[in-house]
Amino acid sequence: MSILDYKDGSVNLLMGNEAIARGAVEAGVRVAAGYPGTPSSEIIENLAAVAGKAGLYVEWSVNEKVSLEVAAAGSFAGLRSMCVMKQNGVNVASDFLLHLGLSGTRAGMVLVPCDDPGAISSVNEGESRHFARLLELPLIEPGNFQEAIDMIKWAFELSEKIRNVVVVRSVTRLSHASGNVKVGTLPKNNDTPVFKYDGNLLDALNGPVITAPVPFKHRQQQEKLKAVAEIFETSEFNTYTGPENPELLIITSSACSLYSLEAVNVLELDKRVGVLKLGTTYPLPEKLVKKHVASAKKILFVEEVQPFLEDLTKIAAAAWEDVGVKKYHGKYDASIPTVNELNPDIVIAALTKILGIDYRPVPEDYEKKGTILSFTGAPNREVTFCPGCPHRASFWSIHNVLTLQGKGGFVCGDIGCYTIGILGAGFNTLKTTHSMGSGLGIASGFGKLRGLGMKQDAVAVCGDSTFFHSIIPALVNAVHVKSDMMLIVFDNKGTAMTGFQPHPGTETDAMGAKVNALNIESICRAIGADVHVSDPFDITGTQDKLFDLIENGKGPRVLIMQQSCALSPEKKGKNKYVMNVDESLCRGENCGCDRFCTKIFRCPGLVWNRDKSVSMIDSVICTGCGVCKNICPAGAIKSEEVKAC
Amino acid sequence: MLKDPYNIIITGVGGQGNVMAARIVGNMLALQGFYVTIGETFGASQRGGSVMSHLRVSKKTVWSPQMPKGKADLIVALEPIESLRVLAQYGNSETAVISNTRPVYPVGVICGDLKYPTMDELNASLLQLCSKIYFIDATEKAIQLGNPILSNVIMIGAAAGLNVVPMEESDFEKIMSVSLPPEKMKINMEGFKLGKSMTSS
Amino acid sequence: MTFGPKELQADVQQKNMCIGCGACVSICPYFKTYKGKTAAMFQCSRESGRCYAYCPKTGVNLDRISEKLYNKKYSSDALGNLKAIYTSEKSDKASKGNFQNGGTVSALMEFALKNKTIDSAILTKRNGAVSIPEIVTDHEKVHAYASSKYGLSPVVSKFNEGAESGYKKIGVVGTPCSIIAMANIRSNPTDIPDFVDKSGIVIGLFCTWALDTSKFEDALKDKIDLTLLQKVDIPPPPADVMTFTTSHNEITLPLSEMRKGIPLGCTYCHDMTGEFADISVGALELKGEKNKNIIIVRTERGEQLVNDAVKSGYIKTAPLPAEALSGLSTASMNKKKRAFTRLVDEKMINNLTERPMIVVDDQSLKNIMNEKGGM
Repeated sequence: MSILDYKDGSVNLLMGNEAIARGAVEAGVRVAAGYPGTPSSEIIENLAAVAGKAGLYVEWSVNEKVSLEVAAAGSFAGLRSMCVMKQNGVNVASDFLLHLGLSGTRAGMVLVPCDDPGAISSVNEGESRHFARLLELPLIEPGNFQEAIDMIKWAFELSEKIRNVVVVRSVTRLSHASGNVKVGTLPKNNDTPVFKYDGNLLDALNGPVITAPVPFKHRQQQEKLKAVAEIFETSEFNTYTGPENPELLIITSSACSLYSLEAVNVLELDKRVGVLKLGTTYPLPEKLVKKHVASAKKILFVEEVQPFLEDLTKIAAAAWEDVGVKKYHGKYDASIPTVNELNPDIVIAALTKILGIDYRPVPEDYEKKGTILSFTGAPNREVTFCPGCPHRASFWSIHNVLTLQGKGGFVCGDIGCYTIGILGAGFNTLKTTHSMGSGLGIASGFGKLRGLGMKQDAVAVCGDSTFFHSIIPALVNAVHVKSDMMLIVFDNKGTAMTGFQPHPGTETDAMGAKVNALNIESICRAIGADVHVSDPFDITGTQDKLFDLIENGKGPRVLIMQQSCALSPEKKGKNKYVMNVDESLCRGENCGCDRFCTKIFRCPGLVWNRDKSVSMIDSVICTGCGVCKNICPAGAIKSEEVKAC
Repeated sequence: MLKDPYNIIITGVGGQGNVMAARIVGNMLALQGFYVTIGETFGASQRGGSVMSHLRVSKKTVWSPQMPKGKADLIVALEPIESLRVLAQYGNSETAVISNTRPVYPVGVICGDLKYPTMDELNASLLQLCSKIYFIDATEKAIQLGNPILSNVIMIGAAAGLNVVPMEESDFEKIMSVSLPPEKMKINMEGFKLGKSMTSS
Repeated sequence: MTFGPKELQADVQQKNMCIGCGACVSICPYFKTYKGKTAAMFQCSRESGRCYAYCPKTGVNLDRISEKLYNKKYSSDALGNLKAIYTSEKSDKASKGNFQNGGTVSALMEFALKNKTIDSAILTKRNGAVSIPEIVTDHEKVHAYASSKYGLSPVVSKFNEGAESGYKKIGVVGTPCSIIAMANIRSNPTDIPDFVDKSGIVIGLFCTWALDTSKFEDALKDKIDLTLLQKVDIPPPPADVMTFTTSHNEITLPLSEMRKGIPLGCTYCHDMTGEFADISVGALELKGEKNKNIIIVRTERGEQLVNDAVKSGYIKTAPLPAEALSGLSTASMNKKKRAFTRLVDEKMINNLTERPMIVVDDQSLKNIMNEKGGM
């Protein structure tokens, strides 16, 4: 079922990201581009699925900056366009976004960043809200699922009113949550894109799209923002729930508004506490906020990570001579934490503390019992690589080679499933992780420290999608300066972590059309690196290559480890081998120092049988990759090839 | 419905189909005219980790996709020990628990560092925190039906069998037929009915 | 008191005492050897283990292994326990090869495999600067392993591997550190029930020191084509050089240069002649004599093999000139005194509270320390 299949006016259970995608189509979006990243990916996926039917161009671009440029082209050519990314993607796109805000746009253009407070699926909890302020762009934030669809539509209108990008910020708990949504009607829209440039330099709709003259354009951008502030004052997306003169006013936005309402409900404070939910958060609708602040004694800001609404309100309040002295609670008095995501319990805790209420969700002894029982009775689940994951095999080889070489070699990585190479799942091999592609830049730096006496070998790892996203410039750099280091590309044939979105190395695009698949090996060779290829499931062959490349190689070397993700559509359900453990050969507890395969290799498909004191294959979980056969010192793990039928 | 909102948590391990199960239940209840909010776990935390979906069911309004502590009315565990983990965090003495009996072992258990409880031990732990517990051999029954993938459908049926929220067979059929080819409907309906029969007696 | 992998890493790997014999390798998957270096691949939590018990650099009780092998306390004599000492060389029956000196070791191993005294032999081949031990079962292949390698060889890892895979009478050729590890293994220090000694014959090679593989490699890689290296030798004093012969050329490097590649662990070694072997063999260094060996027969099974090999025409022996005997004894005693002095100075011998490297009867220690040298 696609987002086009919902009947006009019907109420459906939609995921936040589906609602955003549907809203965009209802608004007549024609161009959508993005780079995959949790929790944003389903927006582009849903649009891509209906691209042909709805007459859209949808693209998974090489990275976020390029995706914003692609979307901007749509707007410049008179088509409504949208760009989607996760929070840290905005950092990547921000250089272009700075300039785009200054040049302005034509047809409605909306940027949807999906933030991930609490880093549920991220290695940071960066915030896109602050970019709106920094780059002087309007920011709106849906507070529930209906608003996700409605605000997207409104954002396009607003963008056309001011001829600039509008930022619609979502968060994990909206994007990846579902709720009832009443859908609207689908438009007929087949405008032909034309880019007009014959007007004079200052003609926003017919002239060249440029940022100069900067002071003129910048002033124009700020005036647009002032106009937006006026519109925001009366926006229906700002709602107030509560008594006329509350004892305490909560000012909040986004998913936090739902936590706030829930907390008020749980504590039965609806007569004492009011909730001002702002849908339009930058620029702050100051008059509206002032009116509500004036009505209350205490103010509590409920928002995630850094103070945003709190700062904007306090700055505005400095000029409010007629509202009297208020007691402000939020980030600065630690009522609300500045790290991690929020939830109703955190808001409950803040309210009980500020208002001096005694509240326990369950009796104290129940809570204690629960903590102890779940600690002792529900063994912890450590995150690990999937059974049959090529990363486990790759890290096994890298770890073993670096350890045997005994020169303190280490691995620099970035973001991807392989980030958990920091943990036991990857034999603790990864020693740095930062932004996408940063492993290679760092390794390139380490490689040059050779000249200053560094003896350790630096190895960078990246995924195939990351390779295109941001490795290429770092590789160019490493080759140019002849850095003595090695790059390993974990080529698992797709953007596996976020759901197998295509990338420039794949043969089809987001919409399923045939495109040019770029070859990683050829690119590396063209850049001038010493390039090699191996199959990580061939443990011996891969280790031989690694030994040789790390030990004897000079300058920038690349090893491309090719093996599809275990979850990839081409592999799923198709086991190459049937594995089994010969119990007569398994050394069990006496496998030298200890049972090696289950204790160290730790594939979920290979299980310790406590009763028999031997290892065994869990045939439901095992994907038959055959790698564990190579690591058993007793040759007890056997494989039998599955005959193709 | 006994309470408004009625709070359901579907829990399991990444890769078990937790998200799909929650969507099916949510859609069934939406057909009955309820406001349904589902909060889900996605992404890297899925890789072998504990996952759960919070379902808030209400006649009145939208609720938070994260449920407050102590407010779960029903916990459906696709994996046994996850029932205990979730119950301890979100349950109360009145919470009902439906648990599959087929374990997915954590890495710590696989490597022998941690111990996985027997179903008797798990039952004893759960009984200290709540009184309505249903163990369902969903995976085994699904394998008997012909595919372990049907275990989630059996678990959904078992939740319907409790009759605490209106989860109608006809709604299940309607929802499933949107995404399933007709030839697969029969076995899925069978799974749902089987699950339902296991808790409704 | 028993110790395990944690202590092994603390006392040996982390202190750079490892000489790469491989005693801890192939008994479990946690220790592996690569290019003469032994590495702990993963942290193992066992509190006691064969890895520590077999290591020749941890708690070696000389009296205990002596009693196990010879039924008597450790001999403080220069050449250790011995039954006989001769000069020797290969004889007509033995195959020809690229021998270091007299070809005695190759001849003995070839013969032992042929007459089934042993079912396999652990012999070391050369791959550039890297010494690679292999399990050899075909007597006709023995001669291909001839000549001294000078790089550390993880001989004992191959013995462990052979024992694990079912060989029951394994012939081992190794330098004294490997022979001490073998003695540790053969004395069953961890009290394994139903323990069976799987060595068939143990031959020790005279050794003053060996070279760290990577330093060996570094010293030579720009000077010769290491893949063509065929022979390494130290000509008798006063040459003070080391020669490296490839199929193309021969180069000579100052000994003082090469000595920089001696691993730290070697400098604590007291054993020059492989005192815990069945048979020990080295070069006969005597004016006018080339291509001959000295052979020391230490045990009954060693005696049996040597006698049979002589009878069958694989080796021939002759009385050892007194001059050669005294030269060897002096050198051997000097190595002992040097090592024991260092061990005493650094409190690494008999200090039972601190996990000593060596344990030996106080009187024997005194005898050696007071010895003026020679016999």
